[in-house]
Amino acid sequence: MKYQSQKVAKLYFIAAIGLFVGQILFGLIMGMQYVVGDFLFPEIPFNVARMVHTNLLIVWLLFGFMGASYYLVPEEAETELFAPWLAHLMFWVFLAAGAATILAYLLVPYAALAELTMNDLLPTMGREFLEQPTITKIGIVIVVLAFLFNIGMTILKGRKTVVNLVLLMGLTGLAVFFLFAFYNPTNLVMDKYYWWWVVHLWVEGVWELILGSILAFILIKTTGVDREVIEKWLYIIIAMTLITGIVGMGHHYYWIGAPEFWQWWGSIFSALEPIPFFMMTVYAFNMVNKRRRNHPNKAAVLWALGTAVMAFLGAGVWGFLHTLAPVNYYTHGTQITAAHGHMAFYGAYVMIVLGMISYSMPLMRGRELCNSARSQSLEMWSFWLMTISMVFITLFLTAAGILQVYLQRFSDNPMDFMVVQDKIALFYWLREITGVIFLIGLIVYIASFFIGQDEPEATVEPLK
Amino acid sequence: MEKSKWPPGDLVIWIFIMAELLVFGIFFAAYAFTRANHVELFNTYQATLDRNAALINTLALITSSYFVVRAVAAIKMDDSRKCFQWLLAALFMGLVFLLVKGIEYQHHFSQGISLSTNTFYMFYLSMTFFHFLHVILGMVILIAVALKARAGGYSARQHDGVETGASYWHMVDLVWMVLFPLVYVMN
Amino acid sequence: MAQAFTKAMARNIFYGGTVFFFLVLLALTFQTHREWPELDNRQAINDVVTLGKKVWEDNNCVGCHSLLGEGAYFAPELGNVYTRLGSVEAIKGFIMSRPKEGIPGRRSMPQFNLSEEELTAIAEFLKYVAGINTAGWPPNIKG
Repeated sequence: MKYQSQKVAKLYFIAAIGLFVGQILFGLIMGMQYVVGDFLFPEIPFNVARMVHTNLLIVWLLFGFMGASYYLVPEEAETELFAPWLAHLMFWVFLAAGAATILAYLLVPYAALAELTMNDLLPTMGREFLEQPTITKIGIVIVVLAFLFNIGMTILKGRKTVVNLVLLMGLTGLAVFFLFAFYNPTNLVMDKYYWWWVVHLWVEGVWELILGSILAFILIKTTGVDREVIEKWLYIIIAMTLITGIVGMGHHYYWIGAPEFWQWWGSIFSALEPIPFFMMTVYAFNMVNKRRRNHPNKAAVLWALGTAVMAFLGAGVWGFLHTLAPVNYYTHGTQITAAHGHMAFYGAYVMIVLGMISYSMPLMRGRELCNSARSQSLEMWSFWLMTISMVFITLFLTAAGILQVYLQRFSDNPMDFMVVQDKIALFYWLREITGVIFLIGLIVYIASFFIGQDEPEATVEPLK
Repeated sequence: MEKSKWPPGDLVIWIFIMAELLVFGIFFAAYAFTRANHVELFNTYQATLDRNAALINTLALITSSYFVVRAVAAIKMDDSRKCFQWLLAALFMGLVFLLVKGIEYQHHFSQGISLSTNTFYMFYLSMTFFHFLHVILGMVILIAVALKARAGGYSARQHDGVETGASYWHMVDLVWMVLFPLVYVMN
Repeated sequence: MAQAFTKAMARNIFYGGTVFFFLVLLALTFQTHREWPELDNRQAINDVVTLGKKVWEDNNCVGCHSLLGEGAYFAPELGNVYTRLGSVEAIKGFIMSRPKEGIPGRRSMPQFNLSEEELTAIAEFLKYVAGINTAGWPPNIKG
């Protein structure tokens, strides 16, 4: 850690991990409700559990991105953070707003919350992932703007590296496209069309810039490969991401009342979306193979390589599986989508945030380079537990989805939705069991922060 | 100094060109596949296109590509002024293309034809419009290269930028060479 | 030949490509707007439908159901529920009849205690949605 103000990232990371635990717990509740329909009913209806599960994910990833930015931007810019006090203040504002919103979901019926927060004035609630009360949404905008200001001013007064610029562009895009969350016409088709300008242009657009720059930072730090080389590839990868991903948004426009030409445009461009993910995998492995030194933080390198592979599998391969219009006609809105969503979010965004935490947390806690061998070994165990669980969750949901498509939409005698749900319950059970293993992985992960802390740092043989 | 390096220009542009060709390639394959299932429809509406205009445009792009070749040759002789002039000529031919294509579009739109009129027009308009935008992008690149050439930014030793822009422009030309027979002529 | 591969060119392609494809998106969006009047069933939108969408949102229906395939996959697709159940009355009847304490061991929709006006509105909203041209999706009546 080179600059004192980088340390503010620690707060953000701790909050992120805490909310991550909450997300997984509510995921398990939902998984249970899939097989035991009246589980926790009517105290926590499914829609509330789901809202908490997805909103916690988004909020903790945002905490993770912010923490990562506060850590890497000063180091890249070679200057202290512009306003550390603002970063502290915004942390508490964001945490309070986030916690209040989640608690409100759990304690008040959603309709009452809508009334309480005067959703009538500017109705934005009740849409998938954008369930937050309008006042919370405004809060998010304020927090993100203050954050962007802080980051932007730091970059402005310091060295302008590609990693910083790409990160800043990603974060700015995040703020800009979030504004579409406030557009909610009665016309459902237009509502959905522009809803995707938040959701798609986030996860298949600007968030990938954030992912790319954090990954580049970790690779520069751990491999010692020349910055020029890494930055060059970063540009090429994010160029491919946006070239394919912007028009690739068309794969969401097949069946929601948009013109049919989107079936062609969407299929063609989104079919190419795996390319940048594949390039990212090749690039990460290449950089590690070409490393100029052995970094003793093996866990961080593992996360970096892991995110490259899992993002390709989850976003690239599983996305491609159902992106072509003739296939999507049958798979749209089934468990196939859920399968893809789980692995893509974990592979691309969860793992990169955990990777950044893995690299920076030991340094913020006073280590020279990395944690002790014991602590790292635990962390790597948690990596494998969570990653393999996620692979199986994805496989089970895919199996459930294929059966669902066949029984409900494809066979000669299509069955009712609920009848099909009963028939595929076995896979939901398997998913739930795997989810428990994921939780165990997460507990091991948290344990790695406490175990082996009094032991000396791990060492590696220098590269010959 | 390296004499004949391959591929010419910046390697990155070739990654980009490959990606672009891939997109167009998929579009062409989809067109061929769909046409095979709707031969009648495609033949009928293909007859409504203006082949003469397309032919003029083909000649315009071939000529402009030739001018770009001359521009590269000129800079290899260290002649920045000639290079700039050839690029201007190429740009002029690009402008001719845009103009002719624009008149064609004007004609279609005045008849109320759009992407959703039928499958043939969906493909015809998608592919030509996507290509149309590429011509504009190619021209923007050529303008940037031309301005730098005029300012003496290139030399016989260092002219990667000219070759890079030229490579991209040839790609735009090449795509049209496939588009023209595929969409306007073949039936 | 490593030097033939410059960061400046990679950067230019990133900026150029992004702007270029964003313009393509805007052009396609413009065309989409032109075609919507034929597709999105806007003539069916009135005050009742507007209220219905609000009821839909204020009760977070999308937290369990999908609508035109988007939302949660815990409960049936509702984009075509008007066609499936056959009438506004049938939709209202289903929503009203949900047991307060659920059904032992099974998934059950909560009892939302909607007013008559709200019930009519949500059913009319779902009727409007069923009239949207979705290019033939879903494949069959089951959703």
